[in-house]
Amino acid sequence: MLDYLLAFLILLGAGFTFIGSLGLARLPDFYTRLHGPTKATTLGVGAMLVASAIHFSVGEGGPSLHELLVTLFLFITAPVSAHLLSKAGLHLRLRSRAPAPGKASGEQRD
Amino acid sequence: MMSLPLVVLLPFLGAPLAAWSVRFGRLGAPWASGGITLVTLLVLLGVAEAPFAGRTMVERLPWLGSAGLDLAFRLDGLGLLFALLILGIGLLVIFYARYYLEAEDCLGRFYTYLMLFMGAMLGIVLSENLVQLVVFWELTSLTSFLLISYWQGSEEARRAARMSLVVTGAGGLALLAGVVMLGEMVGSYALSDVLAAGDQVRAHPWYLPMLTLVLLGAFTKSAQFPFHFWLPAAMAAPTPVSAYLHSATMVKAGVFLLARLFPVLSDTPAWSGLVGGFGLATFLLGAYFALFKHDIKGLLAYSTISHLGLIMLLLGIGTPLAAVAAVFHIINHATFKASLFMAAGIIDHEAGSRDMRKLNGLWKYMPHTALLAMVAAASMAGVPLFNGFLSKEMLFAEAVGVQTQMAFGWLLPVVVTVAGVFAVAYSLRFIYETFFNGEPVGLEHTPHEPPRWMKVPVEILVLLCLVVGILPALTVEPILAVGVSGLLHGPAPEYSLAIWHGFSPALLMSVLALAGGVGVYAFRAPLFALAERMGGRFEAVRFFWRGHDGLLRWADRANPWQDGVSLTTMVLALVGAGGIVGLAGHLGGGSPLAGGATPTPLDPVSLLLGLGGIAAAGAAVVLHRRRLASVILLGAVGLVIALVFIRFSAPDLGLTQLSVEVVTLILLLLALYFLPQHGPAEDGAARCLRDGVVAGLAGLGVGLVSWAILTRPHETIADYFLEQAKPGGGGANVVNVILVDFRGFDTLGEIAVLALAGLGIFAMLQHLYLPGPAKDHAGRGWDPDRHPPIMASLTRLLLPLALLVSFFIFLRGHQLPGGGFIAGLVTAVALIMQYLANGVSWTQARLPAHLHGIMGTGLLVATGTGLVAMALGYPFLTSTFDYFHWPLVGEVELASALAFDLGVYLVVVGTTLLVLIHLGMVHRASHGVSGNPVGGQ
Repeated sequence: MLDYLLAFLILLGAGFTFIGSLGLARLPDFYTRLHGPTKATTLGVGAMLVASAIHFSVGEGGPSLHELLVTLFLFITAPVSAHLLSKAGLHLRLRSRAPAPGKASGEQRD
Repeated sequence: MMSLPLVVLLPFLGAPLAAWSVRFGRLGAPWASGGITLVTLLVLLGVAEAPFAGRTMVERLPWLGSAGLDLAFRLDGLGLLFALLILGIGLLVIFYARYYLEAEDCLGRFYTYLMLFMGAMLGIVLSENLVQLVVFWELTSLTSFLLISYWQGSEEARRAARMSLVVTGAGGLALLAGVVMLGEMVGSYALSDVLAAGDQVRAHPWYLPMLTLVLLGAFTKSAQFPFHFWLPAAMAAPTPVSAYLHSATMVKAGVFLLARLFPVLSDTPAWSGLVGGFGLATFLLGAYFALFKHDIKGLLAYSTISHLGLIMLLLGIGTPLAAVAAVFHIINHATFKASLFMAAGIIDHEAGSRDMRKLNGLWKYMPHTALLAMVAAASMAGVPLFNGFLSKEMLFAEAVGVQTQMAFGWLLPVVVTVAGVFAVAYSLRFIYETFFNGEPVGLEHTPHEPPRWMKVPVEILVLLCLVVGILPALTVEPILAVGVSGLLHGPAPEYSLAIWHGFSPALLMSVLALAGGVGVYAFRAPLFALAERMGGRFEAVRFFWRGHDGLLRWADRANPWQDGVSLTTMVLALVGAGGIVGLAGHLGGGSPLAGGATPTPLDPVSLLLGLGGIAAAGAAVVLHRRRLASVILLGAVGLVIALVFIRFSAPDLGLTQLSVEVVTLILLLLALYFLPQHGPAEDGAARCLRDGVVAGLAGLGVGLVSWAILTRPHETIADYFLEQAKPGGGGANVVNVILVDFRGFDTLGEIAVLALAGLGIFAMLQHLYLPGPAKDHAGRGWDPDRHPPIMASLTRLLLPLALLVSFFIFLRGHQLPGGGFIAGLVTAVALIMQYLANGVSWTQARLPAHLHGIMGTGLLVATGTGLVAMALGYPFLTSTFDYFHWPLVGEVELASALAFDLGVYLVVVGTTLLVLIHLGMVHRASHGVSGNPVGGQ
């Protein structure tokens, strides 16, 4: 039973990661593509971490806290890197498919 | 407690003490050095009765036992005499220099060098082992280099220091060869054995080459013709240095060496010919050239050369009585020449010039100093009632005594008398033209007497000249006798120390020298005209610089051959040479490429890893012109390698590889900022093809070599380590146990190298200013938001977490993958993140990082762990471990290796941060802003 649960979680994680990668490759512009890897790190890696935590907690007879720490790291770093990437994209005035939100950034469109 | 090693060691300990003591005021250094010297002198006096009782004291410390070398020290009469001179005159010089050096001179540095030199000199005269003697000999060359170049701002001083180092260093090499030959001839490097084997040495076929090499060492050190030229140039040193090195110690080392080996080497025609001949030539030429020097110190330098020649001549004559005269003159010359140098320093200090054409009539301005200098100069000239007279008359007597024993023997007394004539003439010139002869010409300020205490060392020395000169038997007799018996390695001969020996040829020669000297000086005009016309055309120093410049020109021409070519060519040569050697070895060896071991079957994961690595590396090649992309791709290769390590059960290596990869990436990105974003284009298909072929062949070669190695069955010591890690080192993580325990000494060396490399990089980056590009390659300006608040604040949150991980990795290192090195890198990366996210000034205000201190502490902790083991009676770096029960935590194993690992950790953190932070600061300087903190706005 446990094995099925673990397998499901891992497959779920792998699926999200795959979708994230696919998005990175296929989405049309920089800003939308940014979504791919960020979703993959949170949901994909998250599912795998849950699987790992369950596996080691059951297997080694005590709660495994490493995964908690890894999650914490991911939750802190993933938004920072996404934010920095989008900031860089804005600074470099990369093309966006989204309509300009207002006059202030209207001149940023190509 | 062993006294003799202590005597040698104390000045070396005093050197850092002197450097440190200037913190407590400028005069801390002289007080510290003086105190240490005094203590050393007392320790020496405590054991001085042994030589007086006719015993030779030998004390040994084990050193390189397997090479038959001990640290052995020996105190006999000769060593005692020299050690007393070194310490006694050293004390006076320390005292004198305190008044001589100006306020802007760094006293700490001066006294540190002086103490180091004193220790090296004591090491020479107290060595029992010949190799050890050469080591100290070289140390005096090095420390005298530092002392001569003390005023580093003066080019003259630097050139003089370099010249003296080249000449004495080359001599030191010759001496080393000579000593090794001597040791092999005798079968022992212990001086006691060598001194007892005189007949064996003299009969040996190697005797002449060995003698030549030893003499080269002694002659260069003692400034004998034709190697004398470095000594006058070395007058660019501060005068206390000249008074110490160039009267009593450094230049006497050569004389000491020959006196030391006198019982072994002397008493052969080659010895008398070489030592006597060069000594005589130096005696005469030095005295002659001294007359024409306008600089007081130049005159004294040539006079020193001449007197050293005199002592050499006496040693060359080789009779026991000549040996007495030699030792006596060593004492006398040290006293009067040191006082003369000090007087010259006073004159220079108070009158502002050393040129005798400007200095005239100083008697009126500084009568006291003038009187002291005149007494010392009279002693130098060999005037009766002063000590120089006594030893010089002994020389005259010996010259007459041995003239019947050789062809042209009558020449010896004649030449000696002529040299004596010039000695009187230059002494007379020194006195007359400095203190009399009208009024000073063009001095910048009016000369006056120096501070009272500055004259005290001179007074002591001059008093010695007088007392010894008048009452020799009562004063100098005991130490002279002890010194002579030490030199002869046997009882001293019968001799009488008296001023009046009746009418003898020697007296006649003395009178002739005095009268002739006055005469030469009175009718000096034609001689000076001749000297002007020669214009120093034959001065050896010119030949030295001509050779020096020629060598440099030759090196300039030779250098392009080795590093003037492009990087590509050099890599080609390196790879090609490796390939040729490997191929030749393989074809010559005749063994098949693949060994018999069956390879592990290929599994999909490994295959995927391999393909991923190849893809990343290939992409880096294709995209290499886009530098940022290729750096990232190289990072991907590193990642694959880390995975490979983990795949093959080396989690330690994997962790290390990961953390190193991160640090390297940051380093490369920081450096990349200053470089163009795109690499230059290649110039042509042919070149690309050639490089591609070379690179392909190199890769193929490495692959084949790995194949050949991995397919061979081999025995490793890994099994031993695996077995021993737990019982021997108390850790389950074998890699870590090897690093901190089994191979702890290697690791200690490695972290020392790491720290040094970090310091070197720091030194290069410290004042570097690199103008960074103001715009990127597309002409866009940089984002003005340097430290985005989201990143800055979240990174701060990350720091404690990262430190926790680092602590965890560090603690578990002995049992599970981890350890000080990885933990250090993780900590460094965590801290660097703060610098990157929040700016240098913000971070430094909150985390004051004394990185040098951290590195130093790390090295100290690691070394200290080893020393604790030594103190407990185990070999260096022996580790121990035990199990403790901690409440809540349970059974915990604590190993002393953990402390060692802490040292590793600290060094890694310090070095990594030092390099990255300072590279980042170069960065910051290039922006021309002070890295505004986000929190401070």
